[in-house]
Amino acid sequence: MYFVKDLYTKHSHALGLELTAGKGGLDNKIRVPELERPGLSLSGYLKNHAKRRILIFGTQEMGYLRDLDRTTCIARLAPILNKQTPAIIIADRYRPLKAMKELAEEHSIPIFCTKLRVMTLLNKLTLLLTEGFAPSTSCHGTLVEVFGVGVLIQGDSAVGKSEAALGLIERGHRLISDDVVKVKKKEDSYLEGSGGVLTRHHMEIRGIGIINVANLYGAVCVRDQKSIDIVVKLEVWQDDHFYDRVGLEEKYVKILDIKLPFQILPVKTGRNVVLLLETIALNHRLKDMGYNSAQEFNTKVLELTMGKKKKL
Amino acid sequence: MKIIQKVQVKNRLGLHTRPATTIVKILQNCKSSVSFTYKKETINAKSILSLLMLAAGKNAKIIIEVDGEDAEKTMEKLVEAFENHFGE
Repeated sequence: MYFVKDLYTKHSHALGLELTAGKGGLDNKIRVPELERPGLSLSGYLKNHAKRRILIFGTQEMGYLRDLDRTTCIARLAPILNKQTPAIIIADRYRPLKAMKELAEEHSIPIFCTKLRVMTLLNKLTLLLTEGFAPSTSCHGTLVEVFGVGVLIQGDSAVGKSEAALGLIERGHRLISDDVVKVKKKEDSYLEGSGGVLTRHHMEIRGIGIINVANLYGAVCVRDQKSIDIVVKLEVWQDDHFYDRVGLEEKYVKILDIKLPFQILPVKTGRNVVLLLETIALNHRLKDMGYNSAQEFNTKVLELTMGKKKKL
Repeated sequence: MKIIQKVQVKNRLGLHTRPATTIVKILQNCKSSVSFTYKKETINAKSILSLLMLAAGKNAKIIIEVDGEDAEKTMEKLVEAFENHFGE
């Protein structure tokens, strides 16, 4: 949920917003991440008018309203300025008409003015609202960028997630967040992970305590956000469990309805988890480039066993 | 078994490092999964950084969710710690 005051406090500078009327409506809720240019609705055609959208008035709307006499102007504005309207933004340096101000005060609809051109405002605001309304969640795990690949390391407490991440950082990879990762769905197609404002760049290592990675290893070892490309689950090695030996079978996990490659990595003394994580990241990059080591190898074997005469 | 209970942070300084350590200590050997929800943020209570991230001040109301075989015992201990102001 998003309030008009959130939009005003966070983005008034970027959008050049100036509050001119309807201060009482700053607590209005913005329910949809959509904008409306009310041109046709102003002319009297109210069928399918989107009541819950933020209204954007540009040169054309303001010019039209100015040409009307006061009574008609109020008559045209009244049906579209009601309690459901979250806010009005007037672009192109225009100021609100008296009738608009009166209606806005009556129904507590904030009116903002901006110097931005209407198209620029529409583009910027659409991006900001889409971002604000993006589905998000938080998950337990550590997010590290390894060779440019966002690896989300998951696993039970005390399995060694933070230690593995620390090993990766020491080798020049970057920490995004330890222990808790805030995940946001971007453009409906990929996930972006980031850390909490307070705990960002911090890690908790058992036996040492809380450390600040940015201070210890330098700013080059941290990043504020990164897309999540692969999920690796660290698991305590179980002798009776059969672990993947070939890698032909691809596993996936869904976070916020986005399918991510998923790999289980068994951990036991003597296994270099850092090196294994690096290999997983590199292998993921290779797969992304269209080369699947396991499949390629399998094809070679098949070609041989099926007796195809092809030079390898 | 799954138990959900609402508790209130009663100590003056809120859920800072020391109370967070107390909680993590209580949960160290607990077999259930424990999560805290505050201001729509749900976190794993076994992680000290996650607990600190909540930045829950005095009088903050936290929803504790314990799920597992020793849920009842764990919840009892947690509620007691909150009631005792984490020994402060």
